[in-house]
Amino acid sequence: MNVINGHKGTLPAQFSTTGPAASLAWIIGIVAFACIAMANSAIANTSAPTIRLFPTTVVEDLRQTSSVAKEMETGLQEVIGRLDQQQELYEQSKCEGAENDPGCQRLSRQLGATYLEMLGIMEERLPDMEHTVNNTRLSLEKRLRSELGNKMTSWTLQETLLGGNPQPSAAATAPSMRGKSGMRLSERFRQYYQLVASSSSQSDQSLAVLASDIYLDMEETSTLIARTREEIARATLIEQLNQSFGTITPEMMEVVGGVKSILFGDEASRVQIAGPPPGNIEQAYRSPLEN
Amino acid sequence: MTTLRGLASLFLLLATVIALASCASTPPCGSTQSKNLDSAVDDVKRTLSSGCEAHFDSYYDDLLRVAEGDPKPENKRIFSDFLMWSSDEGLLSQRQAKDYYNRYFNVKFMSLQGDYNNCSHTCPRRERVMLEMERELGDKERGLLKVSLDNEGYYRADELYQEVELVLEATCTACAAGR
Repeated sequence: MNVINGHKGTLPAQFSTTGPAASLAWIIGIVAFACIAMANSAIANTSAPTIRLFPTTVVEDLRQTSSVAKEMETGLQEVIGRLDQQQELYEQSKCEGAENDPGCQRLSRQLGATYLEMLGIMEERLPDMEHTVNNTRLSLEKRLRSELGNKMTSWTLQETLLGGNPQPSAAATAPSMRGKSGMRLSERFRQYYQLVASSSSQSDQSLAVLASDIYLDMEETSTLIARTREEIARATLIEQLNQSFGTITPEMMEVVGGVKSILFGDEASRVQIAGPPPGNIEQAYRSPLEN
Repeated sequence: MTTLRGLASLFLLLATVIALASCASTPPCGSTQSKNLDSAVDDVKRTLSSGCEAHFDSYYDDLLRVAEGDPKPENKRIFSDFLMWSSDEGLLSQRQAKDYYNRYFNVKFMSLQGDYNNCSHTCPRRERVMLEMERELGDKERGLLKVSLDNEGYYRADELYQEVELVLEATCTACAAGR
């Protein structure tokens, strides 16, 4: 059984970074990445695509995932807002270090109850999320196997990725990969959807990378959702016991804060990576030996 | 006793003569000392033409080292001309010349050559393919970045390496799921 622990960095098990809320944060982060990159890739190559990685079914699955993500986001937004208020009240009441005070114990119980509510929402929404994520994953899996796995050699795949243009300027339009963009989850999926919905204007080069990126995301997300669903039951039980014994810690706000930053955006989490040094501006030499 | 000593001296003399003769027939296959790429190429051509073609790899490496001392975009052309000369002289096949050039001076990876589909051919040896690409990327760093100052070309090759890694991971996972 957990006891009150006011020290930072000593989270009780149910609120630790390995708990369901943290797992949700992981899931959300993983399903959402690369949207800024996709915005970059929207600078379309004019050559017509010759591979079909995003047929209507995949686009529809993505739209559905976006919609489910929006619902989950809306549901959590309200409860997280309430947790914020309760946390503020807890701090204003100077309950840290005075956990045995009856008023503080009441506040702790309220915090715990709201946390339980958050777990409940996750439990309710995750099956839908799991379903749509799996649908998208399976559709993409089929297309990747067929278009890139069975119809291409490693050489033609390389040529596809170079977009028929091995000149360095191609780098400017290539999508970068993986990373939080600091925007809303539903907004990220909306961008995913919009990007692939207008895939006729995209180069094969971008689409192959994009499809791979989304597919690997969905693969990882499916696993995490399954693990989170298992964890929620355990965390709910522990929190119910805590409610009985009146033990709660405000450190759970840190975990909730992590969920918030991924769900609703977090400026501080944006990572800037230095670009390459400028290349020479002279006309590139092309050897007759080049392939 | 004297006769034996005489025979030993004669044997020693013969051995020395034979050794000297063999030295005279073996060309001096030393590395070029020039710090100028054009002169170094001339030196290497002369040496290769005089029977040192077995050391082609080592001479090519020497030329890259010399070029690293004076990096400039024109070096690509010098290497291309040298490789075409090597091909014309029969020191290399046309394909070998292309491989030597593209491995160092082209964005495309020669280690991705293959005639069969990715599910059946590339995926079962994906780790080896990526390792070969990584080595080739090292050679491209030398050829594109350090010899030719083609920064953009090198960074595009580096990006291509990462894209291939991602796309192969996804494709091979999809192939494995379909079995």
